[in-house]
Amino acid sequence: MPVTTNSFAMGEMLAVLLSRDMADGEKAIVGTNSDIQVAACNLARQRQAPHLWWVSGPGGMTNPTEGIIRPAADAENIAVAEAVMDLPQMIDFIDWQVHFFDFAILGALQTDRFGNINTVCVGDHAKPRLRGPGTVGISALCGLSRRFYIMMTRHDRGAFVPKVDFVCGAGFLDGGTARTDFGLPEGGPRLVVTPLGVFDFEPKSKAMRIKSLHEGVTLDEIRDNTGFDLMVPAKIERTANPEDEELFLLRRAVDSTGVLARKFPWPKAH
Amino acid sequence: MPASNKSPSKKLVDLDTALSTVKDGMTLGIGGWIFHGQPMALVRGLIAKGVRDLTLVPAPGSVAPDMLIGAGCVRETACVFISFEHLGLAPNFRRAAQSGAVKVLEMDGPGIAGGLRAGACDLPYGLIPDLGTDLPKVNPEGYRKARIQEGNRPLLEVPAIKPDVVFLHGQQADEEGNVQYFGAGYFDLLMAQAAKHVICSVDRIVPSSTVRHQARLTKIPSAFVDAIVVAPFGAHPGGSPGLYGQDEQHLKAYVAASRDQAAFDAYLGEHARGGEDAYRERIGAKALAGLTTGDAR
Repeated sequence: MPVTTNSFAMGEMLAVLLSRDMADGEKAIVGTNSDIQVAACNLARQRQAPHLWWVSGPGGMTNPTEGIIRPAADAENIAVAEAVMDLPQMIDFIDWQVHFFDFAILGALQTDRFGNINTVCVGDHAKPRLRGPGTVGISALCGLSRRFYIMMTRHDRGAFVPKVDFVCGAGFLDGGTARTDFGLPEGGPRLVVTPLGVFDFEPKSKAMRIKSLHEGVTLDEIRDNTGFDLMVPAKIERTANPEDEELFLLRRAVDSTGVLARKFPWPKAH
Repeated sequence: MPASNKSPSKKLVDLDTALSTVKDGMTLGIGGWIFHGQPMALVRGLIAKGVRDLTLVPAPGSVAPDMLIGAGCVRETACVFISFEHLGLAPNFRRAAQSGAVKVLEMDGPGIAGGLRAGACDLPYGLIPDLGTDLPKVNPEGYRKARIQEGNRPLLEVPAIKPDVVFLHGQQADEEGNVQYFGAGYFDLLMAQAAKHVICSVDRIVPSSTVRHQARLTKIPSAFVDAIVVAPFGAHPGGSPGLYGQDEQHLKAYVAASRDQAAFDAYLGEHARGGEDAYRERIGAKALAGLTTGDAR
């Protein structure tokens, strides 16, 4: 298990890791129930990306930055937004336009070796063992945005499977050039962030690869908790923990009521 | 029409009159977004009425589709997204989908948006990109390979969605049926445009002058509305944006009561079959007041 420190919560760590990868001037979309995503975008705006533009998928508010993390659909975001768009207009760039968004951040019930995403069901669709919530905009965001991030709040063999039971968001499909062969634009998953580490995709095979392991996490532990063979680079980095400055800004300017610490603590040791 | 000849609004009707248009086997659209603006008074009224064999087309939702499914009113449901967010998976939807009791027509955002747009525009189908998902495999009637293919992007046709009836919930309306929203409108206007018959519940009726004072809040103009039902706290246990938040305590109790069909039937008996006056009395003035002030969050 990671060294579950009292100095920051899992949700805070994931938000910091995601925010570091965002660039100034990029355009992003945040879906429903996305506390960590909201935090990551607003933290990036506080640091290296002051002109990052993000929009609430369901609510249409742009850049609501109040210092309190609220559900993205909430009316309270209106009073602190720069604009409020209506969903039917937003559909034009969410569901059809190629590369309007630089990135989206998506959670999932399952992800697989090639970064495909499943939020629909575990088991056969006709009679699933677990019925999930459904696809919503994930299909379009995985398919059409310039890149996407997979954010998993659990890392185990139930969530990291050889092949997802239902593709509701296309990653690299069957790997290699399968994604572009199908007719999807360039893009796909860039990073996977979990309570155990950070992962990317090997450029040729498009298979998931270890990028860095969080403090206290071993290679064996990652292998035990992943349902397929991860690619292992010659040298495995150690994830840089959130710095004091990052945590200070996160807690003072982004999440001043401590939503992340309350809702996303570290998982308990087995 | 001269003001002196103006007849009283025929759109403002009581719950039972509004629901008299909803028949067994119809396709019912439901507006809102997850816990926001779920038309729960209309849903409870429909359960009390005992309508069966509905096909649901819910916008991403929670307790509205879940309760209709748990009450046995539904034969099949489109599923774009049905979730209880931090409270877990939608319990009755989950049970019905896992047992096969309700057929699930799997959809995504482009599918419902393309289908509703086609419905609103009187076109046979919408055109969307094939995004490489498994949706066409499990819902071949909802996602057909397009007859017209241009360029390198594979395209799908999604048939027009034209619900027989759609249920929406706004915060206030005038007697003419101009419905105002204090939060986002989500898919509600598109649904109203695509549907054959539109029933809106609102928390309160206000004078026309109040509506005209802030006409920008009118998301559903009266021409799209067939019936208005006054239902104070009509989105409870969900929230009504700008008026009251979702009732976390009640939603948790709902999830607990959804553990099996017998327990959920008891919940429905206590909450859904006695009319809205009895419902509000059961929830209690103190609890409802807490939701309007944020005390209950």
